Formats: sequence, structure tokens, C-alpha cells
Amino acid sequence: MATTPPSPTAQPRSFSQAASSAVPVIQLRNIEKIYQTKTIETVALSQVNLSIGRGEFVSVMGPSGCGKSTLLSLMGLLDEPSGGTIEIDGRPVASYSDKGLAGLRNHKIGFVFQSYHLINDLSVLDNVELPLLYRKGVGNTERRRRALAALDKVGLNARTGHFPAQLSGGQRQRVAIARALAGDPEIILADEPTGNLDSVMGEEIMDLLLGLNRDQGTTLVMVTHDEQQALKTQRLIRFFDGRQVA
Amino acid sequence: MWNRKRANSLLMLEVLLAFVVLFAVSSLGVSLWGNYRTPLGFAYQQVWAIDISTPGLAGRAPRTEALQRIGQHLRATPGVLCVTRHAGNTPFANANNTGDVSTGTGPDRRVVEPVNYLDTGPELRELLGLHMQEGRWFDRRDEAANYRPVVITTDLRDALFAPGQSPLGQTIQGPKDWHETWRVVGVSGPYRPDGALHEPVPGVFLYASAQDTVHALNGLLVRVAPGAGAVLEKKITDDIRTLGAGWRGTINTLDEQRLSQLKVNLSLPVILGVVCLFLIVNVMLGLFGVLWLNINQRRAELGVRRALGATAAAVSRQVLGEILVLTTFGLVLGLLIAAQFPLLGVFNVKASVYLTAMAIAAAGLYLLAAGCALYPSRLAAGIQPAVALREE
Ligand SMILES: Nc1ncnc2c1ncn2[C@@H]1O[C@H](COP(=O)(O)OP(=O)(O)OP(=O)(O)O)[C@@H](O)[C@H]1O
Ligand SMILES: [Mg+2]
Repeated sequence: MATTPPSPTAQPRSFSQAASSAVPVIQLRNIEKIYQTKTIETVALSQVNLSIGRGEFVSVMGPSGCGKSTLLSLMGLLDEPSGGTIEIDGRPVASYSDKGLAGLRNHKIGFVFQSYHLINDLSVLDNVELPLLYRKGVGNTERRRRALAALDKVGLNARTGHFPAQLSGGQRQRVAIARALAGDPEIILADEPTGNLDSVMGEEIMDLLLGLNRDQGTTLVMVTHDEQQALKTQRLIRFFDGRQVA
Repeated sequence: MWNRKRANSLLMLEVLLAFVVLFAVSSLGVSLWGNYRTPLGFAYQQVWAIDISTPGLAGRAPRTEALQRIGQHLRATPGVLCVTRHAGNTPFANANNTGDVSTGTGPDRRVVEPVNYLDTGPELRELLGLHMQEGRWFDRRDEAANYRPVVITTDLRDALFAPGQSPLGQTIQGPKDWHETWRVVGVSGPYRPDGALHEPVPGVFLYASAQDTVHALNGLLVRVAPGAGAVLEKKITDDIRTLGAGWRGTINTLDEQRLSQLKVNLSLPVILGVVCLFLIVNVMLGLFGVLWLNINQRRAELGVRRALGATAAAVSRQVLGEILVLTTFGLVLGLLIAAQFPLLGVFNVKASVYLTAMAIAAAGLYLLAAGCALYPSRLAAGIQPAVALREE
């Protein structure tokens, strides 16, 4: 196994931070992302240089279409940049095999998609269990237990047998968050995780993320449109038209 | 996963269809192969069937006399080893003479049908190298018998007599309207003059003595020395012509007759096989199409799985696994249908043939499903996690 899976009762990660605090968890160098379609070429990101330190909570803001989701998908190793390099823990992502990348996505990163991307044929509980399904050495009961714990954190433990189509938008968003939490990742990348929640619920989720960052040392990158939320994080990055402006 | 009911039932239907076709082909194949592997029970090399026409001879007595004369002449001909009278149903002649044979009366009566009636002279055993299992073959003793002596094949014995009951010395009845009673003097091994692909049929050899003016008057079977060929054939036909006015003998070697019969008997299975091959190719294309469509409809789901850490191999395994599970469901349905054939004894085929065919068809089905699933599963493995971001 490339990385040691965090124990279920995760200890604060600060313990090991001191030794390697100089090496950023995520490092982007000269990133370009160009979407090529038949007729037009969209430059979604251009000359992005960004490093995310261990245990940081960074928020990303910017107008619609400025490239925030694109940035997150590159950090989450879901897509490849058109130019530049991405490093995770100082190692270039390009040097990983398919299996190695899958391992990173599975163990290290939890991803909350902007449009949830739950699997409609699976129950809420099965959806949340998914990341653990692809992790060796996690048994059925352990998987179930951790998924239920994650659902409990987002306040959805009463709906584990439902299917995504039977949930409201806000409830789906919370399932998506629970799925990212279930694997207990070192890094959580969340694309507007409170976009569909009322202010009270949004507040609760924000507290949950802040708590993860504070108590377990989870590194967080969150896209948001909410200035209030952004102010609660350690660093705010602004994007405009594919470039970092602040 | 099992929510995709419609797509899955379509897949299962395709699988079921494939199984039915495979089962039909396998049943036919296994049955023919089994027949082919069963010994014929006689040696056909260097045996010639001579069809003899003696126009102008009225009545059976003169015909008997003519056959006797020709037979005597042939026995004295160098290169001819053995001669016997025979009815028209010589091996591989595509001619048969069948009916029923029975034992006992009233409620104890046992009837076997069909049975090959084989009218022949006492030389046949030596001529065809028949194997005796019990009792004896025909000999001089039979000339004075009250009932016509017969030798039955083992399969007729097993069908007619209880296990452990000796058939030797027992009398059996021919067809009702013949009012003939026969006495069993011996039991021979199976005898399959209808050829290798034909279902084995029980047989009864019916004794025709040299003086018999009723039976076995169609022609002669002769065994010739190894290496005898066209020269001997010509000599025999020439000699027959000189023995009587207008007499003619037509010689067919059993070797040739066997091959031409095999060709005729194989043509139907071959045509059926080709038709089934087309059907299977069709079903395979259908299966492939459904799977391909299925994968394309699930690109978003598979992309999400990749995004959450599934390796390409895991996705490919998942797809293959799902297909194999569906195949198994289709197979179970198919087996339920196929099991009716041995249970109901359809087509009079042995249950073991159907069981073997089921096993072959099941193995073939898995191969076929795996073959059809290979490309779609690789397609699934090639789906990038970024797909999860875009498609909904
Ligand atoms: N798959 C794609 N093909 C072509 N163009 C794309 C694709 N994905 C994104 N884009 C383009 O890239 C640019 C950045 O998109 P992105 O989704 O990153 O924006 P965003 O900042 O997340 O916007 P929002 O706040 O609306 O979610 C947009 O102009 C978009 O049209
Ligand atoms: Mg976005």
C-alpha cells in the first residue's frame, strides 16, 4: 500500500507535520488547462502556481466559469492539466501508474462534487461506502460502521436506505459530503459543499469542516460563493477568467 | 445495481436465447458423436454386397436355386473367402426391414419396436466377424428345428428379457400378422447395419438355410481376400452373366456404401449446424450490442467509481462480474427449460446425451458471454475519472 490508511479514530495529523511541513501537500506549477471542442478552445486555467500546505484550510472564490471546478478536478487527480506539473507530497503526479493514482484518489483525497454525482442505483449507505469498497483490508462491518458514522456527522443517519432520487437537493449534497468523509482522507476537496443548503445547515457543515481541519489536521480546499464562509478559512484565493488574482 | 431491471432482463433474454441454441446444437452433436463412437459390431472391409437380378425366373424356388448356384460358383472362385445369402437390408444399403418382437402373453407380454429383421444365411457370422455373447450362432442343428432359429442382439435381449433371465432356448414372437414363433439360440453383440450416425436399433438375425425358399433371396454378401479389387469384381460379374440367361450381378463394396451413406446422413446436421452458427453469431452481436449500450449508459457512474479510487482493473472486473452473474441467471432459466427434455424423454434420446449437452452448452455460454463482454469491459476500464465531472 502506498499510503497508510488513517485509523478510524483519527489522531490529529500535526504529529507528523513538523518533519515535512516544508513540502506542500499539493503543489501546482505553471498549470494550464485548455478544453478543446470541435469549434472553440476554452482556456479554463492559465499560469496557475499554487501550493497548499499541510493542514491548511483554503477557500477559492470567483465568478461562474472562472475555472474553480477545473482547478479542483486537477488537484483531485480527476483530470490532467494541458501544461505544467502537479505534485502531491512533493512527488509529480505524472510519475504514478493508473493503480497508483487510483490509490491516491482513494486513500488521500475526498472529493465533494459540485453536482454531487451520487450513483442512482445505490442506496445512500452504499453510496457512502463506495470509497471504502475500493480499499483493501476494510471488511463489510467496518465499512458499514464508518459509512454510518459519516452519515451521522452530516445528520442523515435516518435516510440510509433511501435512494438518491428520493432525497432533496440539500440531502444529496450532504450524502456527497459524507461520502468524502467516509474514507477519512488527508485532503478534502469540496466544490461548493454548502451551495444547496439553507443557512443553518450550511453553518453546520462549515463547522464540521472547520472541526476536521482543527481536530484532525485535514487539509481542505473549498470552492464557495459565500464571503462569510471564506472569511472563516485560513486563506482565500480569488480567481478571475482562469487566473489567480489574489 | 439490480435496479436496472429493463437492461438486465434484456441481457438475460439474450443469454437465454444463446443457451437454447447452444443446447440444441450440443444435443445433436453429442447424440451423433455418441452414435459415431459406438462400435458398428461388424467388419465391413473387404466385404461386397452383390445385388443379383435373375429376370425370367418365376417363383421363389427357381430363385433360391439360382442363388445357390451362384453362391457355389463364388465359393470356388479364388479370392472369395466367404459367401452368404442375405435380404435387401445389407449394411449401409439405406434399406431396412423393421417391426416388433415380443415375448410372453397377456399381461406378461413384452414388446420391442422397432427391431431390425435380418434374414441371413449361417455364414454371416464368419463373413462379418460378428461377436457372440451367449449361446451359439446358426449351424447344422438348425436345419431340423421346429421353430425358426434366431440370434438376437444384446440390446434386444436387454429390452425383451428380465435381467438374469436367460434368453437361450426361449421362444419369441414376430409381428402378429406373420404368426411366426422363433427360438433364440444365441445372443450377439450390437449390430448396426444402418451406419455410424444412426441410432443403434436392436436386431434379430433370422436363420435362412441353404434350402430356404422364402427368406434372404435378394442377393449375396461375399468376403474377399485382402487386396482383391477391380479384377475380381469384373470376373464375378462376368461369371454371373454366364451362369444363367440374362442374369446380372451388381457389386457394391461396403466401404464405398458406408462413405456415401455417411455423407447423406451428415448433410442435415451440417446444414442445421450452419444455421445455428448464424443464430449464435446473431445472438452474440445482440449480446455485444446490449453490453456496449449498457456501458455507455453507465459512463457517469463508472467515472464516479474511478474518481473515488477504483482502478481501471477493478472497473473492468466489476463489469465482467456483473455480466457473469447475469449469464448465470440466464443459464439457470435455460437449464430449467433444457431439463424438461430428459425429464419428458423428448425425441427418445438418452438422458445422458441431454445432460452432457447441458454441460457443454453451459461452458459454451460462459465462453460466449466472456467473449462478448471483453471489449465492453475494456471500454469501461478506459473511462477516465474526469468523465464523472461532466456527464450526468
Ligand atoms: N469539459 C469541458 N469542455 C469544454 N469546456 C469546459 C469543460 N469543463 C469546463 N469548461 C469550461 O471551462 C471554464 C471553467 O469551467 P469551471 O467549471 O471550472 O468553472 P467554475 O469556476 O467552476 O464555474 P461555476 O462557479 O459556475 O461552477 C468554463 O468556461 C467552462 O465552459
Ligand atoms: Mg464549478
